[in-house]
Amino acid sequence: MIRCLEVALAIPDNEARTALATLQRLGIALHGLERADLYRCEVDDGAGDGLVATFSGLETVYNPNKHVLRVRESARPGPGEVWIDEIDAEPSRPQAEFVRIAGRTLPGVRSLERFTAWRLTDSAGTPAAGDVVAAATETLLCNAAFQKATR
Amino acid sequence: MKRVGVLIFPGTNSEEETLRACQAVGLDAALVPWTEEPRVVREFDAFVLPGGFAYEDRVRAGAIAAHDRLMTAVREGAEAGKPVLGICNGAQILLESGLAPQLDGATRAQAGFTRNAPLGKYRSSHVYVKLAVQPERCSITASLPQGVILPAWASHGEGRLAARPDVLERLERGGHIAFVYCDETGATTAESIPNGSALGAAAIVNERGNVLAIMPHAERDAWTYMHHDATRERARGKGAAMLAPSGGIALFSGLAAALSAA
Repeated sequence: MIRCLEVALAIPDNEARTALATLQRLGIALHGLERADLYRCEVDDGAGDGLVATFSGLETVYNPNKHVLRVRESARPGPGEVWIDEIDAEPSRPQAEFVRIAGRTLPGVRSLERFTAWRLTDSAGTPAAGDVVAAATETLLCNAAFQKATR
Repeated sequence: MKRVGVLIFPGTNSEEETLRACQAVGLDAALVPWTEEPRVVREFDAFVLPGGFAYEDRVRAGAIAAHDRLMTAVREGAEAGKPVLGICNGAQILLESGLAPQLDGATRAQAGFTRNAPLGKYRSSHVYVKLAVQPERCSITASLPQGVILPAWASHGEGRLAARPDVLERLERGGHIAFVYCDETGATTAESIPNGSALGAAAIVNERGNVLAIMPHAERDAWTYMHHDATRERARGKGAAMLAPSGGIALFSGLAAALSAA
């Protein structure tokens, strides 16, 4: 079973604002840009329900004072979205990271992939068109030399 | 006298020691903030991009600064053959901007310095780097001895060279790996590479040979008091000996020689 958790800032995201300003200055027709950390987990049957509680306890991943944590309905990028991850990311890295952070492994999690999700919107507030997402991805959001963009 | 611009982006933090190293080898160097007028920036004869965290490493290390308007003048200068030296974050910016390695004249990034292996940990350690190309392959190293070993400090979380396998092969074959990590004797071993960098690379030079992107900080081992072996211990208590240049200053001497030769 695949579960995808999203951790996004509930406070202004300076990184997204800087990226938006840069893309706009470079002529990309964007109006809004949001960023979130995604954790796509392959979990044992029955282990998915406890995942949110487990993540809620990882204070270096989720701070209730400034983050929103939710389970995404789909484990694929939505319209106007691009997901970025590293091509040669060490497979064990996310899990090892959690071991370090929480002092324990994530119960029932077989594998975990981490992405940065960028959500692009146009002036109407609707998801940006595919060519705009592609241009923003190639220009700034993804270094194709060592990162992979999924749309 | 030829003038060197030491560029400052918001978040740069190594500009003062970089400036001092430039001035110590006789260069007429000045700090150039990101707000400077482009016409003023264009007047410099060479550029040094120091270390730090330009724009807080937002999106990726060096990614936002690579698109800063200051880089327009750097790009024009590089195309005109002016020497460009990027150190640590400056090196990351040069790779993100596509100014190095610039295979086939590409204008987009073909490689990058990404999270250290293992586990993406930040690393601060004293290292040695060895010139791995013929000195004349790069204008900044042209005056240095063949195979010279320089001391420096690695201080980064994203210093691992990463690129597609075909690009890595071309970097190696085309003499783009200007410096490799090594130990004090010049031997490159797994232990001497602080970040898992592909090919043991510590520095990348562009096709033309005038843009050098080097990760470790040579300017932080430019004087004996900054050094980290017996040399410093022997100099302890002797002011003049402590203030004597150490190996890292050679990189800046190389830049000065490149400008003299230009």
